[in-house]
Amino acid sequence: MHRSPLRQVTALALGLAAGSVPMAARTAPPLSHAQQVRQASFQPARVAHARANLLSQKSQLGLGSRDGFATLSAFTNDQGQTIVRLNQTYDGYRVWGTQALAHVLPDGAVETLTDGLKAGIDLQAGPRLSGQQAIEAALRNLAPKGPMPVAPEVERVVFPARYLGGLATTTDIKTGHPVLDRKLTVHARLAAPYVWAYEVRTSIHNDQDGAHELVYIIDGTTGNILRVNDLAQHLAAPTPVQGTGNGYYRGTVTLNTSQMADGTYALYDTSRGTLPNPYLQYFTPDGSGWSATGLQVWWEQHSPSGVSSWNTYLFQSNPTNTWGDGQPWGPSWGQENGANGQTAGVDAMSAMTTTWDFYKNVFGRNGLDGQGTSVFASVLSTGFANIDGAWWSISGKGVYLGAGSYPTNPNGHLSMTDLDIVAHELTHGVTSPSYAQAWVGGAGYEEAGLNEATSDFFAQMVKAYTTRPTGADSAIPNTGADWEEGAGVNRGTPIRWLDHPSKDQRSVDGWYDGIQYMDGHYSSGPLNRALYFLAQGSSSTQGDGHYSPFLPGGMTGIGNDSAARIWYKTVTENLLADGTGSITYAQARTAAIAAADSLYGAGSPQEAAVESAFAAANVGEAPGQAPRVLISFAPWRNGDYIQVNHYGNAYANRQIFPKSETVFPRISVQNTADTSVTWSLGGPSMYNGSDYSVEEGGVINSDGSWTTPNRMSWHSITATSHADVNQFAEGRVFLINMDTDMDLETDAVDMAGVAYSWYLSNALNPAHSVFEAPWVDDADVSFFVDAMRSTWPVK
Amino acid sequence: MRFRTLSLLLAGLVLPLALACSGSSSSSGAAPAPAKSLSYSDPSGTGWRLVKDASSTGTRIVLDLVGPSGTKTRGVGFNLQAPPKVKFGVFANGLPINDTGVYKLLSAAADPTEPVALTGGVKTGNLLSVGIYQKDRVQPAQDSGSPLCQIAIVLDSAQGISAGDALQLQVVKAKAIPEDIGAVSDDLWTLDKKMRMADITIATGSLTAN
Repeated sequence: MHRSPLRQVTALALGLAAGSVPMAARTAPPLSHAQQVRQASFQPARVAHARANLLSQKSQLGLGSRDGFATLSAFTNDQGQTIVRLNQTYDGYRVWGTQALAHVLPDGAVETLTDGLKAGIDLQAGPRLSGQQAIEAALRNLAPKGPMPVAPEVERVVFPARYLGGLATTTDIKTGHPVLDRKLTVHARLAAPYVWAYEVRTSIHNDQDGAHELVYIIDGTTGNILRVNDLAQHLAAPTPVQGTGNGYYRGTVTLNTSQMADGTYALYDTSRGTLPNPYLQYFTPDGSGWSATGLQVWWEQHSPSGVSSWNTYLFQSNPTNTWGDGQPWGPSWGQENGANGQTAGVDAMSAMTTTWDFYKNVFGRNGLDGQGTSVFASVLSTGFANIDGAWWSISGKGVYLGAGSYPTNPNGHLSMTDLDIVAHELTHGVTSPSYAQAWVGGAGYEEAGLNEATSDFFAQMVKAYTTRPTGADSAIPNTGADWEEGAGVNRGTPIRWLDHPSKDQRSVDGWYDGIQYMDGHYSSGPLNRALYFLAQGSSSTQGDGHYSPFLPGGMTGIGNDSAARIWYKTVTENLLADGTGSITYAQARTAAIAAADSLYGAGSPQEAAVESAFAAANVGEAPGQAPRVLISFAPWRNGDYIQVNHYGNAYANRQIFPKSETVFPRISVQNTADTSVTWSLGGPSMYNGSDYSVEEGGVINSDGSWTTPNRMSWHSITATSHADVNQFAEGRVFLINMDTDMDLETDAVDMAGVAYSWYLSNALNPAHSVFEAPWVDDADVSFFVDAMRSTWPVK
Repeated sequence: MRFRTLSLLLAGLVLPLALACSGSSSSSGAAPAPAKSLSYSDPSGTGWRLVKDASSTGTRIVLDLVGPSGTKTRGVGFNLQAPPKVKFGVFANGLPINDTGVYKLLSAAADPTEPVALTGGVKTGNLLSVGIYQKDRVQPAQDSGSPLCQIAIVLDSAQGISAGDALQLQVVKAKAIPEDIGAVSDDLWTLDKKMRMADITIATGSLTAN
């Protein structure tokens, strides 16, 4: 499979001048509006051209006669280039986790990014199960306790075995200890590299189950669950008229509202959004003039004691068209539609329209998804969102904003409706416009941090945008961003500092192997810092908060506008976000360099600045820098079937060890003759703020071995290079109990305990489970085998 | 030609044996000849034992675990202590134990991709630990009188093994899952009594480096 970055291929003419010009000469300035409109008119033909171009490359790409491509999305950028995302298909069915990008240039040339394609698929019969049976298999696992407002969707796909899920744990609420999450642990193996499968998309919001958007991959032959993703993205014909809003965060603002059929007003803006919102379409228009098209703000209903009814309503029936009292949420439960509740609605509506206009005016983007799909905000949430949280719903194309627990909770937040919070969440709608193009959030992936940082960064750009001079709507001022996320909702103290992420004592300033174990809101640190440096520069003074040991000489920033354009182009045109969570920091750097090349030219100061900014975050080297020491935990061996965990609340699962044994973690040190390391217990991911605990324990011995503690739990260990103490790697391992016969010796004989208790619904001895759980199943078998291999290989 | 080769080999064997008998190998200054092959003699008896498999070669001895005929079991695991110079072999499955197909490792509702209870490794001190088990009570227990699993011992010159080295193998721990481990429908008291591994003794033969 091709592993090159954007690769140019010879193009066919599209009624335009066709050419084959090296990438370095492809720099293109923005076109005039009229030129952009003309270029956009070619988009349908270019989409077909892009697909035909990829089809013509099939043999070069290793694809066969049954492989094809289906267009996922397309848009034409301000340089007149049409960006087309396509999914690989097999017999017409989507191949899961495969995506190709094609850039069709104005002269008809085509550049393609084909890293994500899969060669060698060879499937015979179709799935044995029906789509309905796959839904039933998913629902057996989901086991909803409450109603599901939206019926599950199912799609037949080809599933690559490399995306199999793995171990998921959760915290036992009684003991506080990590325990196996059997609902989300995937222990299936696949004998073949590809299988027929079904993707089942579920959406559930209710009191008994909470709010989840779980996507299941179900084996089309066995009905086994192959992978589970949670794609909820956390933090975070009426008459159009203008009303007055009194926001808490935004002050007094003018809002686009609507006069409804009964003459009253609603927080409903029909001037933004041309396609109906997919979630709101489930509501039936009531003759009031409301429809699912247009930006709108809803509120979540509560009892007077603050218990959510799980019902939401549009802010409407306002006779004056003046909204809010400008005060923080009381809380005034049961009166969410009153003046105090409206304040949250005003802030949310103002932030939504500002963000919508930012993407439209600066980047020419038609709404968040580029298609004009309408978006809603639901405020004062306690059920649909954590009271102190916010999240973007991919399926619903809406943002749920928590009511804030302050002052009831003196350490809580105010209403989660400040501009940076809303802009952050809405930016998830830009980067994840559909399941097939979703960035994966949560811990377990480097991509999670890239996702969160992208939302943090553009929230800052939206802030800066609000300070633009009158009439300068298409540019981002170089000032106006405070580079702080969440200071408003957190009553003055930021939740994150983009320019110096480690100030929160949880995030990190530089990339390291193992950063994926962090929650994405903290592994965002290196990209936040890199984008800050790109825009504003870094210091060469040690001790300065903007000094980076990875770029001691510092750098000059290229300004907010240029930095934002490079990063926007990177995420919308050069990265393969496809729901697999596979984007790494290194890939992001490469894609950003390509974006700078396209906008400003290869060898431009902007390209050098991108390299320097990423280098300052320990990703790649700045121009002229030598390769740094790279220290990493050895990847899981070929043939080991528990490779990567794909559920947001767990981790890439490289090593499983027994507890109370002496083991040798595997480590790799490159780019230095001195490969020695210092081992230490614990690691940065222990401070990631997740809802379960990872522990440090045991003893590091003088020979580098680790005597593990007598504790079944996630554990972190860290290796730091002697050659460069700034370079380290964190390994996340899981310790299990393998001594099932309790003879104080761990060996293969212990596996008998697992075997004869297998699927005994009430195993007599919890020790028979390697997880010390009340029953035993294939997960125990899998992990016993893995731990045995990891600890006592055959030499 | 064949006889000449054989006579050279015999000459090579005689010298180190003679030196060993003299009891003065250290003063002679002659290093022992490196081993070129391994041989294994089966143990006597009809109980649990490791016997040489026909697939063995001169440098790779494959040992079958055989139990007493008429005794039904559901799986077996054992730890085999060997001198440091003995190297254990790996089978195509990447493990130091090979399934001979007697035990039904997959559950009755066969999913060919489900994990099976077959594993092994070499612990510190050159202790081979292997196990093979059924994990489904619906599957019938199997007669133990035929090869139930295999392990392998290979000649590795890097281990410094010399012709004539005594290579004692000793099974230091062995357990089998008996036929009766209780039914799912049994009461917990009964199950508790029946869900026990049975200690077994596995006899080993003599392994010799030549």
